[in-house]
Amino acid sequence: MATLKLTALEKTYPNGHRALHGIDLEIDDGEMVVVVGPSGCGKSTLLRCLAGLETISSGELAIAGQRVNELEPAARDIAMVFQNYALYPHMSVADNMGYALKNRGVPKPERRRRVAETASLLGLEALLERKPGQLSGGQRQRVAMGRAIVREPRVFLFDEPLSNLDAALRVQMRLEIRRLQKRLGITSVYVTHDQVEAMTLADRLVIMNGGRIEQVGTPLELYARPRTRFVAGFIGSPAMNFLEARVKDGEIIVGDGSVLAPAADIQGSIAVGIRPEHLRVVDAGEADLTARVEMLEPLGADTLAYCRVSGLSLPLVIRLDGGAALAEGQTLAVKLPLSRLHLFDLDSGERLPWHSPETSIV
Amino acid sequence: MTTFDNHRVTPWILLAPQLLVVAVFFFWPAFQALQQAFYVEDPFGLGRSFVWFDNFTRVLASPEYHRALGVTVAVGVGVAVGAMALALLLAVLADRVIRGARVYRSLLIWPYAVAPAVAGVLWMFLFDPGLGIVSHLLAGVGVRWDHHLHGDQALALVIIASIWKQMSYNFVFFLAGLQAIPRSLLEAAAIDAAGPWRRFWSITFPLLSPTTFFLLVMNSVYAFFETFGTIDATTAGGPGGATRTLVYKVYEDGVIGYDLGSSAAQSVILMLLVGLLTLIQFRYVERRVQY
Repeated sequence: MATLKLTALEKTYPNGHRALHGIDLEIDDGEMVVVVGPSGCGKSTLLRCLAGLETISSGELAIAGQRVNELEPAARDIAMVFQNYALYPHMSVADNMGYALKNRGVPKPERRRRVAETASLLGLEALLERKPGQLSGGQRQRVAMGRAIVREPRVFLFDEPLSNLDAALRVQMRLEIRRLQKRLGITSVYVTHDQVEAMTLADRLVIMNGGRIEQVGTPLELYARPRTRFVAGFIGSPAMNFLEARVKDGEIIVGDGSVLAPAADIQGSIAVGIRPEHLRVVDAGEADLTARVEMLEPLGADTLAYCRVSGLSLPLVIRLDGGAALAEGQTLAVKLPLSRLHLFDLDSGERLPWHSPETSIV
Repeated sequence: MTTFDNHRVTPWILLAPQLLVVAVFFFWPAFQALQQAFYVEDPFGLGRSFVWFDNFTRVLASPEYHRALGVTVAVGVGVAVGAMALALLLAVLADRVIRGARVYRSLLIWPYAVAPAVAGVLWMFLFDPGLGIVSHLLAGVGVRWDHHLHGDQALALVIIASIWKQMSYNFVFFLAGLQAIPRSLLEAAAIDAAGPWRRFWSITFPLLSPTTFFLLVMNSVYAFFETFGTIDATTAGGPGGATRTLVYKVYEDGVIGYDLGSSAAQSVILMLLVGLLTLIQFRYVERRVQY
């Protein structure tokens, strides 16, 4: 068990591609940090740098306060779960799990005991003699976990470990990983592109974009106060709505001229963000906007309404109760609760400081 | 019904070219050899007499035949092990090359395009006691190389030339096999504290075993049959039969010695031997192969 400290970590590939632009991050002992971002954002590179599978171009990586930049993967005392599991196909489950112990010179009886212990923790006892080829996807995933756990490493690294599983199994394994990580209390870094997975697993989330960290925080912090428009759009499903707006004479004006709220210190064009679940359908008198329903997506508990608002280029997505009586082509009177608005600079995408007249619920 | 009938005929028509080639160049000669093995025939083909198994018993009892068998085993083991080990080494090295990999690999594949006789002559010149560069260098370290005189040196020359020729073929397969091993397995092994040496023997090598097994069969067949061209060009079976393999003896006895009955009997035995060897390889070695 250990802390992890990344200081101005950079990775530039020999072909000149700069994958990481100075990553600063501190991870506490026993913490589960999930790194999430779109493909190509550098999250996998970051993980591979932590593992020692890629060399670090500059900056420092410290595990438990000790610099490990120059250490081989084996010497860093980390364990990694790969996306394709990377189980050794010619070895039995027991040999797969015991391989790292064998290489570290752990005597056979102890090796056997530890493998058996881990197997019972994961419900793999019956499968120990099988080859990976004879296992289902979920079982392979579990063996990959077992191989990481059996070593009792200081740090766990997960590289999109659930992306090869079907949806139902993914939810189940997600819970299992969380349960195991809590129980073992091993510092973990988990990389994924799936924001639901990220939200549910993380003690803290790291949002990456273009080789940089956009924001670090607990899932709910990021949901409630995204620091940039990128984070706002990335966290939450369905994604946040962004409305083009301008501030004139201290008032926010959206689309074809509806005045939304006073805004004292802001000038020019901005983007107003509001989540689909925070929009409210009201009586015509209280409405801020009228929206015409173009398409409905009934999800059972909720229905997503994709609406067109005059003066706005992007469709507005509203999350409504699944029981609501709706029809395509209908017009809705929509209210934007001021406490739920997020304002972003249109150019930089930075969050604009703004205190809504209503009390903020964070 | 016509379409049904057509479908019964079509496969045969499609197979016909291949079947024709196999029939003319394998089954017919094989049958001829089998038939001839039971006759003694005069060199001019004017008369022959049926002798039952006399040809076989004579061949099997002859010390020359035993010696040729020994030479064949030496060439077979030497070539198969040498060509595969070197090819694997080169493939592992080539697999790591990042810059100019394509050029490097193409160059390693070239020897396969060289005809066996040309390869043989090439090596003969390199090792020629009077002109050869290698023999000159060997003389520098005190080795007197003359494969015209020393049987073991002639055997070594044949094996070296055959290895050089076959290595490219093996290299191509080993390289393809290596590249089919997922990178993440070796990365996982590195994290699991396996050094490069152990990584190779406990992960890479077992995963290559289907390729290795296939090449073992191919190399044995190569060493038994296709080294003929190399031997004929370099040593012609000499000196004193030191490089006379079973195949070369079949040629010597039949084509040069005109003892067609004995030659045919030998080729039948050789056919059985290679068949048996392949069978053993498939039955016993394949079980250990990790697919």
